[in-house]
Amino acid sequence: MADVVLKSLMKRYANHVVADRLTLTINDGEFVTLLGPSGCGKTTLLRMIAGLEKVDEGEIVIGGRRYTDLPAQKRNCAMVFQSYALFPHMTVRNNIIFGLRLKKVAPIKIEQKLTWAMNMLHLKGLEERLPRQISGGQRQRVALARALVLDPDVLLLDEPLSNLDAALRETAIEELKNIHRKVGTTIIYVTHNQIEAMTMSERIALLNNGRIEQYDTPRQLYDHPATIFTAEFVGSPSMNFFKGEISIEGRTAGVRTSIGFLRLNKDRSQRIMSMEGKEVTVGIRPQNIYYVEHVAQRRYTDANIELVIELVENMGDRSLIVGKDSGGTLVRFMVTREEELLPGRTMRVFIDGRSIHLFDPLLKLNIFRRDGTI
Amino acid sequence: MKFFCSSAQRSPMAVSKRIIWMTGILLAMLIILGPIYLLVKYSISDGPSITTGGKPIPFWPLHPTLSVYGYLFSDRHFYAVLGNSVLIALMTVACSMLLGVPAAYILGRYKIPGRRIVLLGIISVRLFPDIASVIPIVEFFIFVGAHQTYMGVILSHTLLALPYVIFIGMGAFETIPHELEDQASVMGANRFQTFYSVLVPLAVPGLAAAAIYTFLLSWDEFIFAYFLTFGRQEMFTLTLYLNGLKYAEPQNLLAATSVCLSIPVIAFSMLVQRYMIAGISSGSIK
Ligand SMILES: Nc1ncnc2c1ncn2[C@@H]1O[C@H](COP(=O)(O)OP(=O)(O)OP(=O)(O)O)[C@@H](O)[C@H]1O
Ligand SMILES: [Mg+2]
Repeated sequence: MADVVLKSLMKRYANHVVADRLTLTINDGEFVTLLGPSGCGKTTLLRMIAGLEKVDEGEIVIGGRRYTDLPAQKRNCAMVFQSYALFPHMTVRNNIIFGLRLKKVAPIKIEQKLTWAMNMLHLKGLEERLPRQISGGQRQRVALARALVLDPDVLLLDEPLSNLDAALRETAIEELKNIHRKVGTTIIYVTHNQIEAMTMSERIALLNNGRIEQYDTPRQLYDHPATIFTAEFVGSPSMNFFKGEISIEGRTAGVRTSIGFLRLNKDRSQRIMSMEGKEVTVGIRPQNIYYVEHVAQRRYTDANIELVIELVENMGDRSLIVGKDSGGTLVRFMVTREEELLPGRTMRVFIDGRSIHLFDPLLKLNIFRRDGTI
Repeated sequence: MKFFCSSAQRSPMAVSKRIIWMTGILLAMLIILGPIYLLVKYSISDGPSITTGGKPIPFWPLHPTLSVYGYLFSDRHFYAVLGNSVLIALMTVACSMLLGVPAAYILGRYKIPGRRIVLLGIISVRLFPDIASVIPIVEFFIFVGAHQTYMGVILSHTLLALPYVIFIGMGAFETIPHELEDQASVMGANRFQTFYSVLVPLAVPGLAAAAIYTFLLSWDEFIFAYFLTFGRQEMFTLTLYLNGLKYAEPQNLLAATSVCLSIPVIAFSMLVQRYMIAGISSGSIK
């Protein structure tokens, strides 16, 4: 167990920058997820921490020890690859004890570790099977067992659940959380699946173009996106964005947009008082736009707009509706029931002004952000 | 047996498909077994079954006899020659694998500078016919004092086999996912440990094929063995011994020697062939 500090890491492939002065601190025993779109450099970052990829500039410090130039086999990291990379010619048992044998651990100790891991990951009885003779879920657990028996300083997981079906993935998420609670190892988990990131991690580092867009708790990331990119990437379906201008109506400040005037709550309204006339990008989550029948009590901050339904997309228990207002602006929102909501129908929705986000259209930053916090 | 019994319940389509298959297999067997049959037949033929004086040669010898084998196995020189061949072939396999497998790994896995030139150099060994390269090579062997030694013959055969071992080996290593190597080094294995505990076991099917090929090459080789053992009868290999039987009487001695020549090859191939199982690496990468 150890803390992990990445200092100003640079990594280039030819002209392509994969890590751009990337700095990140992960506490001892923390579960951190690297989240980001495909190709943003998540795997490369993990491989640099593991020592499989050279670092162009910057430092990797794990548990106070400088790791930057240490070869992979001398680092005490364990890694689970997306493909699991089990040794196909070795039994489950030999796969799990491979690393212990290399470290010349005493045979009695090896047996203890093996039993411990087999029990914890429900692998009993599979000792003598080859990887091709077990299921995908079991392979994933063997890969995890093989990593855990090594007592790594840090456990690196590269999309370990992406090969599992939805049901198995849910159990695996629970199991992984349990294991982390029991073992307490520092975990760096890579995924581009938001649900995994949101449910498991203590903190999420959102990567984009080799940089960290935001490093925060899942709640914070969802409720207070620091940048337009975060706002767009986190949350599903993704946020609506409109152009707007800060203006003052009566005694409160709000935003004038193509879909109408949006009021903010009092606190935030006060903070933008001085910005009258400033252009902003308004972000509203589809979940924060209410179909009128669903709101029992209207609030002062609710804006009221009329839309013509363009498209109804069934998402199981809920539906995503795309509506068009009189000015032609498209608005996406969620409803829980879909009867009568057919394309062409006119409906009235409310936008909760307390939940809207305002961004600077040039800097792409949340305008309520102060000194890196919101 | 089930194979035949169940065909009654199958559709005519399936039955005719099966018949075509069986015919194909029989034909293939005939092509493979035909020459072997001829060889064995001649080796156990008596004189009148070979020299028939105009009458057609019988399908099966008139009076089958093992007498010529008796003669062969009573010849002490034959034993020495058999021993030489086995020794040289096995040593050639050992040397070729020892040198060729690590080379195949490095050349197949790493983009070392000058890789293409090295590969070209290796291939070029086989660009000349043996009969053209034998003189300069033997010259060189004489120069370093390696002629008329077993090591000389073994080295010359290794030279001939290495390009094949390296190219077959490269193919075998290339199919192994890089992630297995990465995984091993993250788990604490150095390059050498990764090589022998992960990569070699997974390359075994390909390497086994290379070993069989090398054994055969050495076993069959004539020209280099001829020049390098020239004047040393006791160092002869089976091909050279066979060469000495060109004009020998009885005529079936040649056939019997050929049979003896084939048996170790078949035995070696069957032994090594067990490692040529397909799909050894399945299950590692989903
Ligand atoms: N060996 C390499 N040579 C050149 N470019 C590479 C190499 N490895 C990765 N890249 C590039 O670096 C970028 C980051 O790759 P990486 O595999 O880290 O992405 P990722 O975030 O893990 O993506 P995914 O979510 O699809 O797995 C990609 O644009 C990729 O094309
Ligand atoms: Mg990746």
